[in-house]
Amino acid sequence: MGKRVAIIGIGLTNLEGREDLSHKELLFQATRRALTDAGISRNDIGSAFTTSYDLLEGRSLSNQFSLDAIGGVMKPCDLRLGEDGIYGVCAAYMEVMAKPSDIVVVGSVQKASERREKENAFQNIVLASLEPVYNRPVCNTVPISGLEYALAAMEARWYLHRYGISEEQTAKVAAKNHKNATKNPRAKNAKKYSVKDVLNSEVLSWPIKRLEAAEMTDAACALVIASEEVAKRITDKPVWITGVGWCSGTSYIESRDLSSSPYIRAAAQHAYNMAGIKHPAKEIDVAEIYDTYAYKELQYYEALGFCGEGGAGRLIDEGITELGGALPVNPSGGLLGEGNAVGTSGLIRAAYAAYQVRGEAGDFQVPGVDVAVAQGWGGIPTYCGGVVVLSRW
Amino acid sequence: MARKVAIVGVGMQKFARRKEETLNEMIFEVARNALNEAGLTRDDIGAVVCGNAVDAFCGIHNSSKCITEGSGGLMKPMMMNSTSGSTAISLPILGYTHVASGLYDVVMVIAYEKMSENLGAQAVFNTCYDEVYVRPLGLNVPLQCGLEARRYLYKYGITEVQMAKVSVKNRGNALSNPYAQLPMKITVGDVLNSPYISWPVKLLDTSPVTDGARAVIFASEDVAREITDDPVWVRGVGRGANSCYFMGRRLDDLGRLDYAYLAANQAYDMAGIKNPKVEIDYAELYDPFTYKEMQHCEAMGLCEEGGAGRMIDEGISLKEGKLPVNASGGLQGEGNPIAAGMSRLCWCYKMIKKEAGACQVPKEVNTAICNGWGGMYQYNAVMIIGRD
Repeated sequence: MGKRVAIIGIGLTNLEGREDLSHKELLFQATRRALTDAGISRNDIGSAFTTSYDLLEGRSLSNQFSLDAIGGVMKPCDLRLGEDGIYGVCAAYMEVMAKPSDIVVVGSVQKASERREKENAFQNIVLASLEPVYNRPVCNTVPISGLEYALAAMEARWYLHRYGISEEQTAKVAAKNHKNATKNPRAKNAKKYSVKDVLNSEVLSWPIKRLEAAEMTDAACALVIASEEVAKRITDKPVWITGVGWCSGTSYIESRDLSSSPYIRAAAQHAYNMAGIKHPAKEIDVAEIYDTYAYKELQYYEALGFCGEGGAGRLIDEGITELGGALPVNPSGGLLGEGNAVGTSGLIRAAYAAYQVRGEAGDFQVPGVDVAVAQGWGGIPTYCGGVVVLSRW
Repeated sequence: MARKVAIVGVGMQKFARRKEETLNEMIFEVARNALNEAGLTRDDIGAVVCGNAVDAFCGIHNSSKCITEGSGGLMKPMMMNSTSGSTAISLPILGYTHVASGLYDVVMVIAYEKMSENLGAQAVFNTCYDEVYVRPLGLNVPLQCGLEARRYLYKYGITEVQMAKVSVKNRGNALSNPYAQLPMKITVGDVLNSPYISWPVKLLDTSPVTDGARAVIFASEDVAREITDDPVWVRGVGRGANSCYFMGRRLDDLGRLDYAYLAANQAYDMAGIKNPKVEIDYAELYDPFTYKEMQHCEAMGLCEEGGAGRMIDEGISLKEGKLPVNASGGLQGEGNPIAAGMSRLCWCYKMIKKEAGACQVPKEVNTAICNGWGGMYQYNAVMIIGRD
């Protein structure tokens, strides 16, 4: 058995509201594309699993209906991660290394269009995700329609204050990602906005503005992940998974350092150690980051070691993370540009990073990508996430 | 080649209809017990794997994010897996891959369920079903089990008396189990006279609603040999999954658990076991309903297909029998906190280590098998552990 693991197939749907498709059909589309991309059939799959959050899908045990869609029937597929999609890549890596299976399909789907947003469905799920004894009763006092933004704003406010980051700088992140998304044909709702547009958009919860918070969207994504032996046989453009890491911080909001993301710092450290990366800013060519809110992208620059603590403002000011900069971040448009398929977004980040390594990202391809990083987050109100390093060699 | 993996400690606690502790406190107790048993500290743990059957039972969405402290996973990699009942074994399999893959040397696996937090378990189960075709029928677990049990009894000529004997055995075995929620000294007549829940399944053929948690610590070969002179190895793992559309599964029969046979065969292949009837010394099988233990005995190859009735009639699966099954009392006697059915694995470990106290079976146990069953009658996960 080989000692390495590779992504050999990528399948991704458009990011747009699809009320005409069930989530099974959407996931089937992504899986079919991933299998076609890898040039294999359902019979070749060793095992398949999904990542999903029950309440966001509107069903308990939300994976069981995905099983048919990802080709897992009558296979060893008894696994479902209640995590962001990026964890799926980590689990698939372990599954192949530990050798129950040589070829693993990992999929995830999100159908935001099924939620009753007029009844604050998502906000109620955020409330249900809070630690139930100490945190939930406190947050019961926040108007439900603004709960998510109020929680995010506490982080943003403290981060901006502590490191002297300005609202212009977070607006620049949003403008960059909205602009990048216009080059991405899958981002159906992409639109260009200036920094001024962002600053003038409605304040959701100070300092977070409408254009600095990702819109919900529908999407499905599937990756085919295989052992070195299989990858070398099947494809001439394997994308090697050279590092994985994930980490959970405290459950209690009051115990957190809201200004930073120690969980991503720890996850990245683990992934970089595996991949032998010592100077992330120099050695990484492109990154896909979980930018649910603009300030989050800046926080993650620091946690991922792209700059020192508090240095993220300079990174965006100097255009280093722009498409065409020294270390482009979210050339696909990220969650801000193309929309947030909660729980699936992390897997989508990995998919775009893999396209970049292959050189198949189209109009938003970064030239000469050898090493790409994808990062996921559990979403509000969690304090956990994962990092994956992908490499051409 | 995948690394060898051992179990070096398990953490238990009493199962109850309603535990007064918070979820975090419940989990802390089993994590602490497991660490103490293994002689490890929180710092030795590389990663935590945790999961429940369904988040809606405890009323916390994404519940693994709210137990970081109790599980000892603070600022460590934590991964959550939920596959309903089969979480009981699919969770430790995920823990196994953490170590076998070479990523982590010591991994804490925690299964938990706090079912007292919801108003009705069956109402929650209904939300598991397909929203278009099945949910509107009001289907729940007992209704579906009636369909399956009926077919199973008919297909193999199993009787309700044989089912009742399993209930008598398991509830009786639980009398020796200090963690058990529902130990009972009953007769076959008591079971047969209990009311039908869903024909042919009666009240005493079912398992109770339970709060509880279990912890298991997995370690790599190097670490295991340092900690103990008598490591218990994971010898085989297997998983199987079938389509969720159980009414439309074309090629199989509701009475035969094809996916469980698949999982068992995979685990036996890995363990190099050819004749389970002889090579397996002890089994803890997932028995939320009496007939389920019988189906699982067959699928795990502990008797021939359709032979589970004879197995209980001849007393083979009794505590002092040739191949004891669920000497701990199983889900029926010990309680059924769905994912924390990982207790099955804990008891296999205790039997091998001769630490099962009053539950200890008289025969020598070197190799034991346990399984979990879940999804909407579609998943099975199997683990075989033992000495070299």
